[in-house]
Amino acid sequence: MKTIRRFIGLALLPICLSLYGQKLTLPVHQGAVRFAAIGDMGTGEPPQYQVASRMNDIREEFPFDFVIMLGDNIYGGNSAADFQNKFELPYKLLLDAGVKFYASLGNHDAATQKTYKPFNMDGQQYYTYKKSNVQFFALDSNYMSPQEVLWLTKELQKSTADWKVCYFHHPLYSSAKFHGSSVELRQVLEPLFMKYGVQVVFSGHDHVYERIKPQNGIHYFIEGAAGELRKGDLKTTAITAAGYDQDQSFLLVEISGDELDFQAVSRLGVTIDQGSFSRIPERRPSDTRRGGR
Amino acid sequence: MRNTFCVLLIVLAFSSSPRQAVAGQSGPSGTSPAKKSTIEDFGDRVNGYVRIRKDAEDFLSALSSSKDPAEIASHKIELAELIVSERANAHQGDIFTPKAAAKFREIIHKTLKGPRTQDARRTVDDKDPEKIVILRVNMVYPEDNPLQTAPPTLLARLPELPMDMGYRFIGRTFVLLDNKTRLIIDFIPDAIP
Repeated sequence: MKTIRRFIGLALLPICLSLYGQKLTLPVHQGAVRFAAIGDMGTGEPPQYQVASRMNDIREEFPFDFVIMLGDNIYGGNSAADFQNKFELPYKLLLDAGVKFYASLGNHDAATQKTYKPFNMDGQQYYTYKKSNVQFFALDSNYMSPQEVLWLTKELQKSTADWKVCYFHHPLYSSAKFHGSSVELRQVLEPLFMKYGVQVVFSGHDHVYERIKPQNGIHYFIEGAAGELRKGDLKTTAITAAGYDQDQSFLLVEISGDELDFQAVSRLGVTIDQGSFSRIPERRPSDTRRGGR
Repeated sequence: MRNTFCVLLIVLAFSSSPRQAVAGQSGPSGTSPAKKSTIEDFGDRVNGYVRIRKDAEDFLSALSSSKDPAEIASHKIELAELIVSERANAHQGDIFTPKAAAKFREIIHKTLKGPRTQDARRTVDDKDPEKIVILRVNMVYPEDNPLQTAPPTLLARLPELPMDMGYRFIGRTFVLLDNKTRLIIDFIPDAIP
């Protein structure tokens, strides 16, 4: 009897959590830039479809316009069937609703994905686009060539956007055990992010959710569990602000004026992290001089 | 004295700037292969491959983008087949000639072994499980196998490649890969120190 009661309790738990977790805390300001972030999703397995379905449900309350893809978009091949089962079908409702997807490439992705129109890469392995006062930089962290670094430097330099958001597959900071921080890549990219005022960075690769405490003024998120999951892989470290490795998840973001709000949601609809932060206005050259000799 | 001479030779070898672009690089017409630097010769051979690919693309009419993944996949296969038929006699060492391979090995060694190389080494060692394949020139590297990340420090030291070509490690092998087709163009075995 006790076992049956326990079983029923466990069976109901996800539903209860789901109902509890459905509460959306994002502000939904008029004219805001709203998007979702997903990484390591392209498995074609039921959890990917469940995450996609949850994203679609939430869109009724939080009408995000686009999704940034943090790499490992299609695992295991690039046949028509792969694209269908691992992208077109799971996200069908979102695609039909006009939600755009902007991909970056992971280590499991073929370079030919850049020619696949629904990924909006326009044939480029790295590219940039603007949404209102936010400029996005989608990078190829699998192959950070000097040409890409030069391109990024120039694009960041000429960007006049209030918010500069970078995303790519390999996390510069990660507390996950399997891959962890990409330290070499960090040495190349972080000085540029700091110099040119990048405020937020999204990555995948580690199959967990993690928000890192701001590092050198930059906010780092890992959302590599939108299809794959490495349960129990996250060890909390001194840099962890929040993390979750017990279920698949996705991240919702709203940027309005100088404010960024975020909410990470699990496959079952449980809010696993939420919060907001403000943009620190960039220091202009004149500001720097003011403090000098 | 002899040691100093050797060191000087190595310094001169590296100071011939491997970071020069390969694309569009060719010596003045009539330059004999003997007078070309190893890197220039490597660049010419890479450009030879690029010409073959360009001809094949022109023949097929290039695919800039498509919403049909079947079209992308079939274009890739046709392109690979055309290139392979043009390079039917290609062998390992055609592009990474013994001289070029020695030079690349030196650069790889310098980047991955020795003081302050642990971060680059970690990049190479960070890989997802992959099935073992026996590499050969003109094979299409399986799409269900992930690619190891190329260390940025190493890329900064190697000759720049034309668009859609890349240096990769596959296991311990250093590979020149055509990104459009995933064809193995050439490779250097046991390149990781």
